[in-house]
Amino acid sequence: MMLARVAENLYWMARNLERAENTARLINSTTYVLLDLPHGATFGWKNLAEIAGLDDLFAKTYPEANEESIMRFLIEDEANPSSIFACVKYARENTRTLREVLPAEMWERINSLYIYVRQNAHAACKSRRERYMVLNEVIQQRHAIVGLFSGTMPHDDAYQLIKLGRNIERADMTTRILDLHSAISFSDESVVREALVERIWMSTLESLSAYQTYRRLVSMHVRSDDAVRFLLQDMRFPRSVAHCLSEMEACFKLMPKSQQLQQLTILLSLKIAQHDTSKLDAAALHEYIDVLQMQLGEIHDALLQNYFHAWQDGVLPPGQTQGEIEFAQQ
Amino acid sequence: MELAKDEYTPHTAYDELLDRDLKPRPAAQHLFDYLNSLNEDELSTRRQAVDATIMAMGITFTVYSEAGNIDRVWPFDPIPRVMGRKEWESIQAGLKQRLRALNLFINDLYNEQRIIKDCVFPADVLEGSGNFRPQCVGITPRFGVWAHICGTDLVRDKDGTVYVLEDNLRVPSGVSYMLENRQIMKRIFPEVFRTTNILPVDDYPTRLYQMLASLSPREGAQPVIAVLTPGIYNSAYFEHSYLAQQMGAFLVEGSDMVVGADDIVYMKTITGLQRVDVIYRRIDDAFLDPEVFNPDSVLGTPGLMRAWRKGNVGIANAPGAGVADDKVVYSFVPQIINYYLNEAPILANVPSYLCMIEDQRDYVLANLDKLVVKPANESGGYGMLIGPRATQEERDQFARLIRANPRNYMAQPTLEISTAPTLVDGKLAPRHLDLRPFVLQSDQLYATTGGLTRVAMRKGSLVVNSSQGGGSKDTWIVEDAS
Repeated sequence: MMLARVAENLYWMARNLERAENTARLINSTTYVLLDLPHGATFGWKNLAEIAGLDDLFAKTYPEANEESIMRFLIEDEANPSSIFACVKYARENTRTLREVLPAEMWERINSLYIYVRQNAHAACKSRRERYMVLNEVIQQRHAIVGLFSGTMPHDDAYQLIKLGRNIERADMTTRILDLHSAISFSDESVVREALVERIWMSTLESLSAYQTYRRLVSMHVRSDDAVRFLLQDMRFPRSVAHCLSEMEACFKLMPKSQQLQQLTILLSLKIAQHDTSKLDAAALHEYIDVLQMQLGEIHDALLQNYFHAWQDGVLPPGQTQGEIEFAQQ
Repeated sequence: MELAKDEYTPHTAYDELLDRDLKPRPAAQHLFDYLNSLNEDELSTRRQAVDATIMAMGITFTVYSEAGNIDRVWPFDPIPRVMGRKEWESIQAGLKQRLRALNLFINDLYNEQRIIKDCVFPADVLEGSGNFRPQCVGITPRFGVWAHICGTDLVRDKDGTVYVLEDNLRVPSGVSYMLENRQIMKRIFPEVFRTTNILPVDDYPTRLYQMLASLSPREGAQPVIAVLTPGIYNSAYFEHSYLAQQMGAFLVEGSDMVVGADDIVYMKTITGLQRVDVIYRRIDDAFLDPEVFNPDSVLGTPGLMRAWRKGNVGIANAPGAGVADDKVVYSFVPQIINYYLNEAPILANVPSYLCMIEDQRDYVLANLDKLVVKPANESGGYGMLIGPRATQEERDQFARLIRANPRNYMAQPTLEISTAPTLVDGKLAPRHLDLRPFVLQSDQLYATTGGLTRVAMRKGSLVVNSSQGGGSKDTWIVEDAS
C-alpha cells in the first residue's frame, strides 16, 4: 500500500538523481571529445543545451553560448531544472518527503551529495580539471546511493518505482548522448573526418562507461552503426535503451494494475529491436532518436495517469460520487 | 576541560551538573572524569564531528523569513544534562499524575462539567478559553482520553525545586530531537556509554505506535496509522517524517485523504482508496476539518470530524484537547489534580497571578518589573513580557494589553532557571535550560526517560525555543551510585 503522492515523489527522486549523473557523464564526455578535436573541426556549445532539450531556456538568460556559460547553465544554475545542482536539490527535497519509506541511511547519502554539489558546483564551472574531478565524485556518490537501494531496500512497490524512474531517465539520456554527434560540424576535408568519427564514437561510449564492454562484446574497431546498434539494441549493456526497457517491463510485471503499461513497454522494445540501424546517417539518426524520446514520453505519461492519479478513477468510497470527491479536493 | 570561571559567580543560578563549590554533582561524576580525560584537541575534534554528523543526518528545523524558508541545522551542545534516576522517577510519577488528571478534566468539560458545578473551576475561565471546541461537546473518546501526547515543560529554580512551566497538549514537538541527540552522542562519545549507566530513550517510537494502535476502531486487524503533517514547510516537518519512519506509519497531508459519505477516512494510494484507522495529527484543531472549523483551511481533510464523532477513526490528540493547554487553566491544575484524583500534586506549579481576578491583576500591574507576563493561548515563547528585562515602554504597552483583555493574561514571578555547563569557545560556561519530557496516555501511561533538554545558547538568555535561537543537549538519566 503506497500513497499516490509518495509514489510520485519516489519516481521523480529517482529520475532527478539519474539525470544529475547522466548530465555529469554528458559533460565529461563532451570535454573528452573536445580534447580530440583538431583545428579543422568546431564544436557548437549551444548544441549541448539543445541535446538536453533546454536551448530556449538557455537563450533566455545567457547572451552567448561558450564553454563557461554552458557549464554554468548545466552544472550550477538553479533556474535550469535539469542542471546538476537543481536535480540533486530536487532529489533531496523529494527525499525529505520520503524518509518514512526509504532506508534511514538514504537521506544521509542524498543530503551529503547535495551538500557536496552545493559546495563544489561553482568551482566545477571554472576549470576543466576541477570539473572532471567534481563530476566524477558526483557519479561515484550516485553509485553509492544506487548500491544502497539495491542492498538495503525491500523489493516492494517503492523499489519498483525508483527502478522505473531510473531506467526511463537512463534510456532517455542514452538517446540524448547518441545525439551528441549532430553537434559536431566537420570541415570538408574527408581525411580529418574519417579519423575523427571513430575517435568521437570512442568518447561517446566512454561517457556511458560502455567502451570496454563494447570492445569485449562487439569489436575492437569502433564503427558508428555498430555503436548505435550497441547503445540502442544490445540487451547485455545496462545503459542500452533495450536493456532499460526490459528492466521497466520487469518492474511493471511486479506492480499492481499494470497491464497497459506492460503492453506499451513491450511494444516499444519490439520496435527498437526491429529497426535497422545500419543505414542511419547523422540526420536520420537524429530523427529516429526524436521518435524514441517521444515514445518514452508516452510511457511516462501513462505511468503518471495510472499510479499517481489512480485514486481519481479508482474505487470510490461507498455512497460517494465522483463529483463529491472533486469537491473534497478543492 | 576548563570551566569559564568568570561566568560562574556566586550569584549564578542552580547548576544541574556542578554544586556551589563547582564540584561535579554525584550523577555527573563519571561524565566529568571522562571530559577531563580529553585534551583540548580531542574535544575540538569531537565538536567538529558533531557538526558534521548533524549536517549529514540533516537534522533541521525550518525558520520562516522574508527571504524564504531556511532549513536550519538544529544547534546541539555536546555536553549532556545529567540527572539521577531516583529524582527522575519522582518527576515521572508527577508527570503521569498530571496528565491523568488533565484528561479527566477535559472529558468532564466536554460532558457533565461537574468541576464547574462543584465550584472548583470558574465557568468564566471556560467561557474565555480560545481552545474550547463546542463541536466536541458530548463526545467521550476511547478510554476517556483526549490528550494522548503531552509535552510538559519543566524548569528548576534557584533552590533546586522543579516546577511545571506549561503543559503542551495540542501538538507538542521536540521528541525526535531527543531521540536524535542520543544517536549523535553514541556516535561521537561511545566510550562514555561504557563507564556510565545511561538509561536508554529509544523505546518512544514503539510506545507511541502502541498508544496510537490502541485507538483503532477496527480491533484485531493491523491498524493503518497515518501521521498528518501540514507539509514540508512546517517547522517540525523533520519530526513528522522521522516519527512516521520510526513507526512504519504513513506520512500524509490533508489532501492525501478523503472522507466518504460512509463517514470513513480513506487515503489515496497507487491502487485506489484505502481505509485509515488512526491519525496522529500534527496540525492545529482550527485547520483539521474545513467542514467544521476554519473553512479556508487547505491543510486538513473535509469530513474528519464526522468520521471521528462516529468512532470510525482515532485522532490523537483529540480535537478540543487544547482546552487544557491554556496558561490560565494551568494555574488551576493543582486543584484539578486534587478534585479528580484526590491526591496531592507531586510536581509544583509556578505561583501564578490571573489578570482576570481583580486583586491579582492589581498586583501584576503594580509589579510588572518583577514578573513574567504570558498570554493564555500562545506557544513558542511568543507574545511574552519578561518584566525585569523589558523597557518601561514595553511594560506600559503590556499594562494596556492586560487592561483591555484581562482573561488573556497571567503572570508569574521571574524564576532563576537552572543552568548546565555548555561548550562555548572551548570552555564550559553556564547556560540556562529547561526540560520537556513527553507523556503518553491511552489505556496505559508512559513517560519518556528524561526528555528534550533545550538550552539558551546566548549568555544570560532565558529563551530556549528553537525558533528564537535555542539549542539542545542530550539528557541522561543515570543510575545513582549505590
